[in-house]
Amino acid sequence: MRGLHIYILLAAIALALVYAPHLNAYWMHVAIIAMFYGILAASWSLLAGYVGLFSLGHMAFASIGGYTSALLVQWYGIPIPLGMAAGIVMCCALGGLIGWVCLRMSGPYLAIFTLGFAEIVRIIFSTEDDVTAGMAGLHTERLFDAISRLPFFYTACALLTVSLLLMGGIVRSRWGLFLRAIREDEQAAAASGVPVARFRIVTFAIASGFAGLAGGFYAHYIGILTPSLGGLDLMAILVVMTVIGGMERLPTAVGGAFVVEVLLEVLRGYGQWRLPIFGIVLLLTMRFARNGLLTPLWLRFEALGQASGALASAADVPQKDAEA
Amino acid sequence: MTPGVELIRGTGLVKRFGGIVASDAVELAVAEGDLIGLIGPNGSGKTTLINMLTGHLTPDRGEVFVRRRKVSNRPAHVYAGMGVARTFQLTQLFGRMTVIENLLVPGLSRPYSTWQAANRRARRCLEFLNLAHLERMHARNLSGGQQKLLELGRCLMLEPAILFLDEPFAGIHPQLRDELIKRIQELHRGGRTFVVVDHDMESILRISQRLVVMARGRKIADGLPADIQADQKVLAAYAGL
Repeated sequence: MRGLHIYILLAAIALALVYAPHLNAYWMHVAIIAMFYGILAASWSLLAGYVGLFSLGHMAFASIGGYTSALLVQWYGIPIPLGMAAGIVMCCALGGLIGWVCLRMSGPYLAIFTLGFAEIVRIIFSTEDDVTAGMAGLHTERLFDAISRLPFFYTACALLTVSLLLMGGIVRSRWGLFLRAIREDEQAAAASGVPVARFRIVTFAIASGFAGLAGGFYAHYIGILTPSLGGLDLMAILVVMTVIGGMERLPTAVGGAFVVEVLLEVLRGYGQWRLPIFGIVLLLTMRFARNGLLTPLWLRFEALGQASGALASAADVPQKDAEA
Repeated sequence: MTPGVELIRGTGLVKRFGGIVASDAVELAVAEGDLIGLIGPNGSGKTTLINMLTGHLTPDRGEVFVRRRKVSNRPAHVYAGMGVARTFQLTQLFGRMTVIENLLVPGLSRPYSTWQAANRRARRCLEFLNLAHLERMHARNLSGGQQKLLELGRCLMLEPAILFLDEPFAGIHPQLRDELIKRIQELHRGGRTFVVVDHDMESILRISQRLVVMARGRKIADGLPADIQADQKVLAAYAGL
């Protein structure tokens, strides 16, 4: 049946929404954080998986989005959604700027540059005590006054869905084709008429905007914001999530975020040992399944929705045109 | 010498890499309908010249004009948009994308193109190149000759006025080479303009109407193949005689 996988996904989402009120507070929190990471993993996959820009500054943008929103709400009393929107705009602008500065960088050079950027952001947020409250943490206004986490769960779900629809629209349009062409060979892409520089900058801006959205939501969910949100530890976890899931597809990246977040909780009894375990899984994934552990499963799942029943090609020809 | 309207002109093109002068005030004009063979020993500056004429390298000095419009210092995609297509010395495809996707990239980069029209043109192009049966295969899994054909197809999807082919016959089976030559001649008869760089003199002489010879970064001869073959300067520089 054509599109069967879409119906199954919609049914699963509907089931999750209906079942959500029965989750206990702990697992609901885990699910919300997984969705927060889901937005980050998908947007990082757009950058690293689709264009091949291996940025280590993604969590810094989440941090910038969070602080921008929290501080604007605190200083000017603007509504939280407006603060979050301002965070997104700020991240888009900064992301575009970083993308422009990094135009001629790729691979390890880009990774080191963005790592440096992330450290600068983290240190500024740590040391500017008067503004950000430093490591003590900035108390932020919560998105909902409710004691229950349910409204946050639904909000996270909506934000993740909208983010995936928007990013999915991009990757299935001609833009997605151009982004993958840039990843494969920038010179050949330029020779094919693709404005490589423009696409690199715009993708940096878009991915950073989504990171800012996730950061803004996190700030107004947790209620306290520390500079560690933009630190290398969380960036490493984000990379693990995306790579283990499969960084060249949005759904597998999100799946990786869910799987790793849940496993981090399940394995909590092992203390810090769970992190080396993930490190080993990451190494094995890079060695034996570079497309991620979830990619083969996703391809089989996707094949359910194909009329022929054949496995989807790794780069199936997109038919939908979200005009650039 | 130049049969039609001037398509591209490089004037006084200079390019240095460190202390080496790869291109020393080279002039080249290509007119509509030309089929030029660009030859010269290794390191003579042929690829550097092509890179400058297609926007992949910015000249240190000199200008490039496409249809009399100055385009020096503009990025390569601008040249592609103006109908200047090229292949690379070492085939550069989008390896992990399918054969048809490789063609859709240039097809959709053109203004006002639609998926439907680009798909249709890509399939026609694959038929023309005898690659239709490989449509869904990843480009990196093609043979060397098939990759060369696909690279030519990618150029054709731009509906170019001029194609620069950098060593299209290098390292491919003679049968596929003949097929490639046939396609080039067919396209030339259809009105396309070509500049072909290669070391395979037999193939170059089979197709060229005009030969340009380079040595040590300079253009040392430009004329009819028969004249060039008898040119002592060329024989000395190119064949080491």
